[in-house]
Amino acid sequence: MAESWRTEKKRPKIKVLPWPAIPPPTVDEVYAGVDEKKKEYNLWIESAVRQEFNANKPESLFGIRVLDMTTNQSIGHWCSSHFSELGAEVIMVEPVGGDPLRKLTPFGREEYMFTSRDGEKCGVKFLAEARNKLSVTLNVETDAGRNLLKAIIPQVDILIENAAPGHYDKLGIGYRQLSEINPRLIYLWVGQRGQWGPLKDQPGAMDPVAQCSMGFVHGTGAPVSFGGTPTRSGWWLCDHVGGTFAAMGAMAALYAREKFLGHGQFVECTGAEAVIRIIDYNWAWNGMDGSVRPRYGNWDLAINIYAVNPCADGQIMVGGGHDRLWFRIWRAAGKVKPALEQHICEDPKLRVVTDRLPHYQQVETYTTLVEWMKDCTRFQCETALQEEEVASGGVSFIDEVCEFPHYKYRGHVRLLDDGEYGKVLLGGSSFIGSNTPGRIKWVGRPVGKDNEDVYRGLAGLNRQELASLKKGGVI
Amino acid sequence: MVDKALKDMTFEDFCRAVFNTKDTFHKPEVLKGIRAISTTQYILGPSCACYLAELGAETIKVELPKRGEPMRHTTPFNEPFLYPLSRWMPDKGTGLGFFGANPNELFLSLDFHKPEAIEIMKRLAAKSDVFAENYRAGTFDRWGIGYRQHAAINPRVIYQWMGGFGGWGPGRNRASYDILGQAQGGCFSVTGWPKEYGGMPSKQTIWIMDYWGGAISAFNIIACLYWRDNVSGKGNFLEYSQVHGAQRHLTDSIALYGKTGIVAQRWGNWDPLLSVHGILKCGKSSYPNSKNPQEQEVGFCFVSAFKDEDFKKLCSVVGNAELAKKYPTHADRVGAVAQTELYPALEKWAADKTKEEVWKAFTGAGLVSQPVWNSNEAAEQEHWHLRGSMQWLDDPTFGDVLTQGVAYRLSETPGRIKHVFKPVGADNEFVLAKLCGYGGSEIADLEKKEII
Repeated sequence: MAESWRTEKKRPKIKVLPWPAIPPPTVDEVYAGVDEKKKEYNLWIESAVRQEFNANKPESLFGIRVLDMTTNQSIGHWCSSHFSELGAEVIMVEPVGGDPLRKLTPFGREEYMFTSRDGEKCGVKFLAEARNKLSVTLNVETDAGRNLLKAIIPQVDILIENAAPGHYDKLGIGYRQLSEINPRLIYLWVGQRGQWGPLKDQPGAMDPVAQCSMGFVHGTGAPVSFGGTPTRSGWWLCDHVGGTFAAMGAMAALYAREKFLGHGQFVECTGAEAVIRIIDYNWAWNGMDGSVRPRYGNWDLAINIYAVNPCADGQIMVGGGHDRLWFRIWRAAGKVKPALEQHICEDPKLRVVTDRLPHYQQVETYTTLVEWMKDCTRFQCETALQEEEVASGGVSFIDEVCEFPHYKYRGHVRLLDDGEYGKVLLGGSSFIGSNTPGRIKWVGRPVGKDNEDVYRGLAGLNRQELASLKKGGVI
Repeated sequence: MVDKALKDMTFEDFCRAVFNTKDTFHKPEVLKGIRAISTTQYILGPSCACYLAELGAETIKVELPKRGEPMRHTTPFNEPFLYPLSRWMPDKGTGLGFFGANPNELFLSLDFHKPEAIEIMKRLAAKSDVFAENYRAGTFDRWGIGYRQHAAINPRVIYQWMGGFGGWGPGRNRASYDILGQAQGGCFSVTGWPKEYGGMPSKQTIWIMDYWGGAISAFNIIACLYWRDNVSGKGNFLEYSQVHGAQRHLTDSIALYGKTGIVAQRWGNWDPLLSVHGILKCGKSSYPNSKNPQEQEVGFCFVSAFKDEDFKKLCSVVGNAELAKKYPTHADRVGAVAQTELYPALEKWAADKTKEEVWKAFTGAGLVSQPVWNSNEAAEQEHWHLRGSMQWLDDPTFGDVLTQGVAYRLSETPGRIKHVFKPVGADNEFVLAKLCGYGGSEIADLEKKEII
């Protein structure tokens, strides 16, 4: 099977099930048998935040206009998604012909691309972060293009770009020049390591450069003794984390502008530095005694039990750092194999929480635990552990994630009926709230679809001017 | 709004001037005058509150008396600690697990199980803008300090609940941690090498679902503050569920599954979208004589050459004209079979080189390349220290510590790190006297009754 799959030309046809294959549980099913008093609070939250009610509610960032001029990387698009989900008007400004990211599709397979009403194809990586955004094209390498940008800048609150360091400044459309036209402009540059400093971004640098240069890749994966190598994340992690912190920076600048500052500012955020911010205790530990954070596979350096280990049909996560949970985990194992519970609970070296952390104790712990789990499926382990109120769950693949009842019920995964691209399954907005929830209204727009509306509306261009800009390759 | 002097500088100098970390404390703070209460443990909740503290919000962390929150007792291999844990326990320390999620905060200890503690919480609720908590959904409501009671005292409050599966739905009673979010949310399934290459689903080094979840929650809180202060005057109840974060990150794979039924798999250190755009194994260690086994390992180096002209350069660096001929276009290179042939061919060339030699050869040819640095190599880069993303901080309690700085730069109102954290209950007297109207003897009494 594996080999026939690899001979690219003969790929087996996959039957696509409608989503959801199994309908999500109903409210009555979810709360069946729970007494009134106990479910009162749950039902109250549900009534306050369920996404079905989103359309009745206001949006927190309505009235804010964002120009997302980033291309090639996902960090800028990820960042502007925060604003577009909360109601800001986000306009993606793409080079003529579209952001090259639109053309990328896994293994170059065209059948994985989405097709617009006009038959234009778009890769899933780009489309996933084009939600609620408009698309215009603009060639900033031309005088006419830059003039057009300057014409709309007075009406823009936030501009995001990720060109090579100093490139926009050289073109006369950097922060120094545009803030003259619109002092209230918040100008955000995003990238991998920065637009200044000894390691500043080289043109063409993308997410893995950031992942490799701050210790993330070195720390991910199993140790050499377990057959592992440094490993990069399966998604563009630095772009995502960097995009979120970039959004936080721009949002802070916006708040400061309204509250006391009165004008905009220059904001910079990079993928590497965002992950440096959140990579646990690596720097403190290194500063204390020169320690190098080692790879520790699917276990944790600082908590035992807190790991993912193999079981009969995949891998299972179990977590319980302190005593109360520790003994419950072994009680669950002991119900099936009492000898294992006895072995651990009678070991004096494992009695105190902190004594369980050294490496050889972790090996002892997990070897014993897997003796139980190897004969159980993910579901059996999960159920046994949840009976003891221990945090546990199986490693799930995308199909299992999409069909997981809890996610379907809450709208973490949802089907969007898009005017351009048809029915698209998506990860829902993370902004769940009572008064101003985030929402996804459309999945994306074909290249330059909104040129006319935006340039007429913001720059007052007429039919002839639009036509001549188009002819000149400016839009 | 840029000074004449700044206008005439080179772009690099201009950036160094406006983002100069030496000027940080001469500039105003964004969230000055905003007060946040954080009754949170582990990483998800605390990190959310600390991002607000970095921007200048007065953030009060409430934790259990004596031992404090569990993360204080979490440290790699139980080795490094910062002393003291509290003035009551000078011989115990706080583990490094507490690092990174608690800077700039004030520390109040409070035992919620005592009725007097609830009274203190209500007094805090009356004068705070943000309230962050991550107890099991409904617990605070039962204790009389949940959103509904909170909003009755202070309708302008932005109440952020964070937790595993959320307060409603079939999984509402389930406990969760960061790796459960990564595992059951789907992140493990796409990270690591395929089975054929000896790999398995793998976790990210960091507690990503926690730290990132905290970040997106903090973003939403600032957006809600904006809406409250400029538009509506109203507060908000917000809910963030940890497992949800994973689906947000995997949106593209979910869309692909919905359309084609394809379940995205692991692709190791290569990239399904671009080729060549992956990490190569280099056969030699950079520090063969080091005593640290981490450093004796062979090196790895990333290289990116997916454009045709870059790929030609790559082939000439490795002296393999065959490859250039066989895979002339990106469409030829990006297929799964092509990738499984390309990378081993490149690694053959790198087999007798260190990562630095490989890096030098690639960058010399004008390609984008970056060796895989470990945490020590990264910490030695002047770049991060210059920009303030890493810094040696003169901490008021713990002395010199190497700590991460704020993730992003703001030219006019930068965030800043004032201290990494403080011992349990360090600010009890300050907070209780300043905000809750307790006198010195009353505070001593609360302490005697083990309420604080």
